[in-house]
Amino acid sequence: MLALCDLGLVLGLLFLSTPAMGSCLDNYQELLGQLQKQADFMQHTSMLLDHYISIQGLDKDGLKEHCQERPGVFPSKDALQRLSRQEFLQILNNTLGHVLHRLRTLQKDIPKAQDLEKLNIAKLNIRGFKNNIHCMAQLLPGSLEKTEPTPTGPGASPSPTPISDAFQRRLEGCRFLHGYHRFMHSVGQVFREWGQSPSRSRRHSPRRGLRKGTHRTHLSSRNKRLMPRGWLPR
Amino acid sequence: MALFSAFQTTFLLALLSLKTYQSEVLSEPLSLAPESLEVSIDSARQCLHLQWSVHNLAYHQELKMVFQIEISRIKTSNVIWVENYSTTVKRNQVLRWSWESQLPLECAKHSVRMRGAVDDAQVPELRFWSNWTSWEEVDVQSSLGHDPLFVFPKDKLVEEGSNVTICYVSRSHQNNISCYLEGVRMHGEQLDPNVCVFHLKNVPFIRETGTNIYCKADRGDVIKGIVLFVSKVFEEPKDFSCETRDLKTLNCTWAPGSDAGLLTQLSQSYTLFESFSGKKTLCKHKSWCNWQVPPDSQEMHNFTLTAENYLRKRSVHLLFNLTHRVHPMAPFNVFVKNVSATNATMTWKVHSIGNYSTLLCQIELYGEGKVIQQNVSVKVNGKHLMKKLEPSTEYAAQVRCANANHFWKWSEWTRRNFTTAEAAPSEAPDVWRNVKSVQGHCVVTLFWKPLSKLQANGKILFYNVVLENLDRPSTLKLLSIPPPANGTELTLDQCSYQIRVTANNSVGTSPASIIAVSGDPGNKEVEEERVKGTEDGFCLSWKPQPGDVTGYVVEWCERPGDPLCDLQWKNLGPDTTSTVVSSDAFRPGVRYNFRIYGISTERIPYLLEKKTGYSQELVPSDNPQVLMSNLTSYSFTLSWKDYAAESQPGFVRGYSLYLKSKAARCLPGSEKAVLSDDSICCKYKIDNPKQKTFVVENLQPASFYEFFLTPYTSVGEGPQGAFTKVTTPDEYSHILIRVILPMIFSILLIMILCYLKSQWMKEKCYPDIPDPYKSSVLSLIKSKENPRLTIMNVKDCIPDAIEVINKQEGTRKSLTETEPTKPTYLYLLPTEKSHSGPGPCICFENFTYNQAASDSASCGHVPVTPKAQPQLGLLTSSENGPKALGKNYVNSLGEIPAGETNLNYVSQLASPMCGDKSSLPTNPPEPALCSEYKTQMAIPMGLASPPSITLLDEGEHDH
Repeated sequence: MLALCDLGLVLGLLFLSTPAMGSCLDNYQELLGQLQKQADFMQHTSMLLDHYISIQGLDKDGLKEHCQERPGVFPSKDALQRLSRQEFLQILNNTLGHVLHRLRTLQKDIPKAQDLEKLNIAKLNIRGFKNNIHCMAQLLPGSLEKTEPTPTGPGASPSPTPISDAFQRRLEGCRFLHGYHRFMHSVGQVFREWGQSPSRSRRHSPRRGLRKGTHRTHLSSRNKRLMPRGWLPR
Repeated sequence: MALFSAFQTTFLLALLSLKTYQSEVLSEPLSLAPESLEVSIDSARQCLHLQWSVHNLAYHQELKMVFQIEISRIKTSNVIWVENYSTTVKRNQVLRWSWESQLPLECAKHSVRMRGAVDDAQVPELRFWSNWTSWEEVDVQSSLGHDPLFVFPKDKLVEEGSNVTICYVSRSHQNNISCYLEGVRMHGEQLDPNVCVFHLKNVPFIRETGTNIYCKADRGDVIKGIVLFVSKVFEEPKDFSCETRDLKTLNCTWAPGSDAGLLTQLSQSYTLFESFSGKKTLCKHKSWCNWQVPPDSQEMHNFTLTAENYLRKRSVHLLFNLTHRVHPMAPFNVFVKNVSATNATMTWKVHSIGNYSTLLCQIELYGEGKVIQQNVSVKVNGKHLMKKLEPSTEYAAQVRCANANHFWKWSEWTRRNFTTAEAAPSEAPDVWRNVKSVQGHCVVTLFWKPLSKLQANGKILFYNVVLENLDRPSTLKLLSIPPPANGTELTLDQCSYQIRVTANNSVGTSPASIIAVSGDPGNKEVEEERVKGTEDGFCLSWKPQPGDVTGYVVEWCERPGDPLCDLQWKNLGPDTTSTVVSSDAFRPGVRYNFRIYGISTERIPYLLEKKTGYSQELVPSDNPQVLMSNLTSYSFTLSWKDYAAESQPGFVRGYSLYLKSKAARCLPGSEKAVLSDDSICCKYKIDNPKQKTFVVENLQPASFYEFFLTPYTSVGEGPQGAFTKVTTPDEYSHILIRVILPMIFSILLIMILCYLKSQWMKEKCYPDIPDPYKSSVLSLIKSKENPRLTIMNVKDCIPDAIEVINKQEGTRKSLTETEPTKPTYLYLLPTEKSHSGPGPCICFENFTYNQAASDSASCGHVPVTPKAQPQLGLLTSSENGPKALGKNYVNSLGEIPAGETNLNYVSQLASPMCGDKSSLPTNPPEPALCSEYKTQMAIPMGLASPPSITLLDEGEHDH
């Protein structure tokens, strides 16, 4: 029953994510609300981490304590708050691309098809979220650097160092997912601050009333990708 | 043989030359030592791979040698493994040998050395060990890196139940290392200060993703571990079997063992090997494999199926003769030919198996819920005649074949459907009739039951009804009635008829069903008997009839209350005198009537008996309307003659009368009963269902009773209803009624007589004064239109005086004794002229009667209601006049004491100018120029105003 509810929520979020259907919402507040909700939803460890810990047998005393986020992998909340909105969206987009790539790697260590279900749902979720980030970037005026819509290619993020040791791999995977959920929590808070103080952006304020289906500036990921500036320790 | 001799000669020559070389050059024995020993490691498999060669052999020389290998751990003196490895050695041949270590090779340094000796019978003199090679050291730890902690073996794959050795290598002496298996701490043995070994025995399968084993230092955040992939035991394939359908291809199948745990590392492979041909094939599928049989292959086959994964290899064997494993193909070209009403022929072909093989074919025929099975031997073409089929019936025929010589498996079925041809109906329709006499005609309703499928032998197109007048046999009448009609109505004269009914299909006609109708309906009065139904139906029996009876018919209606009663009948043989009639249509609480007829030899039915009954009796559905009569102080009678007991859902067997009273004891004939509301009453039981009246006796006078009557059947009583209340009268009340009623009647009679007498007296003695308005003179005056002549209206007169008549109390005078008394006048008008002076006025005396309240001395105050005299008028009571005129003129009569004045009159003045007789003068007019008169008016009883007029005593009449 819980799984059914989760699936329903996921599908709901995906359908909320209108860019996946080919057009962006031009209502800034509405889009911001969606991003907040999606970030709040994705921050829950039950969406990914708990399941991963369970199927990999990491839920043992003395072991789960080591499933902590490794500093520097994800930008800290402070670092995110210091970013301009455009930079924030860019960092967020790139980081989630990296997460998608890492999830594909983690997938190889999960043999049973039914155990992969949560992982696949999480991937769908992230893709929808990235689309909404792209739409939000369209609403921010004066931004020359736009995020690119999903799908992002596998080469969009740096490849993790290959680890041949299965134990170390699953421990690193656990740490990564822990960091991912923490990161999404921070992202949700930043979006919430956007809603509370619309003019906080140092450089930009949202353009309102953009026509629906506005043209998008698809920049080459090879040339225009921003390297995350906020990869700082928390 | 020659070759062998040459080889032997060469070998001996070489040996001789070797001996010569030994004796002459070295003068000491030549040792064949292993050289160029190299040791490599395979960490994943924990194997040491050794390779070496023997150089001292002569060219093309080949000797059997044995090599002794020693493996030591940590230090060379700690030899943990010694093994002799025998092999045939050639000159400069690279020899290989592997050793699998229980301990991961990373856990400790290993050293290897070896020596060799000739182990060949042809050169027994060389059977001595060579010198040891130097120790070859294998130290993996030195290449591990600088991590503080390592755990080995990495990602090892083992089978469930295996023994596994694990170690950790720590780089720091200060740290205390703890190791855990799935969270449970392990205890090991210290191999050296930095290495600890753990021996795991009989490891279990925990999960598909492996078992986590990890070690942690007590200080710092160091954690290292391994995943031990434990698979379930790889099982051998089951149910391995091979068969062929055409002797060219073998299809081998098996059931793979249970899943090894879904580990991606454990892919399984299946290989099929045939030992006689030496051929082998790698199977593409997990559970089956095809094998091509060469044309010139032998019949016997010996297969080995090998299932293999990373950890284990399993094999199963199968030896069989190819011709004994033939699973024929399904028959083809299957046809059903020459289909008649009762026969059909099935033909088919089979795929040949070899040149001389015979197939056994099985034919199954499905039809009418039955299965018929036949076996036929077939070479190539099969044929089978199917007999005794039912006409106009759908059949399904199917055929399959197997090897007749060596049965292995049946082929699949090949199926064909067909329908046999029609035939003439085999049975006569079951016919019955209902005869009524309507207006001198005989109305016969014929019924027949549709023929069953087996009887109809095809589609019934019509029913033929032939009427033959028995009195005039040459007269025939034919009716054709198409289905689905199952009856017809015939209006016949009173003549006797014989009716023949046949059913016809496209092929022919059924036998005729004959029934006769007699001119005499023969419905003699037969007494109806009751019959008790059960769940299985009604068991009916009748007396056997003397004489020739060709059979009996039991007739009944399944819906008795319905005008279309759904007539049913049952034909029975002449020797039958009982039957059970059952039907799903029988309902509880419904009365079914059965008639039993005998069928004469002339096919004329005549009524024998009538039965009636319920399949299940119920309690009465309603209670009778009970009428009570003859109520006396001691009894009353109840009757319910309108109650229809026949319409009840059970035979009414009597009635129960419940009587409630205050008496503690029940009356004779009744007994105490407790009602459903726990109240107690007395119960009378009326056992005769035909009794519709009942007298309740022995009651108490002036007592209250309640009664309730309900019928009962064999199941129980009717619904409980409301009790009717009754109170018995007093014992003497009827006597009083007998006395008082005649008295009242007598008084009334006397009163009427008196009234009539008074009327007579009135007419004779003082007839009514004519009404001037009704006088014919009036019309004459009007016609002459003389305005001066008019009739004075009494209403228009204004009284000017009141005459008071004093009457002596207690005196009573008859009319004849009455003397004219001089009246006393009270002059109401102040004018003097009104009575003294001469004028145009004419004065009359006016006496208006007023009846005193009583005719005796009890006469008293007469109440006067103001509203009762709203207008002045002579027709009102005498009090009205003065009251209307005001208190200024007279006292109210109500204030006149009784006995002083009991008769009053009012003199009225009529104004000559008076207008509408209905209008009232609001102001008293001047009494000028008016005529005065006196008149007498008797007020009829019916016109008197109710509050003021009472019945006059005869003696009180005045004038």
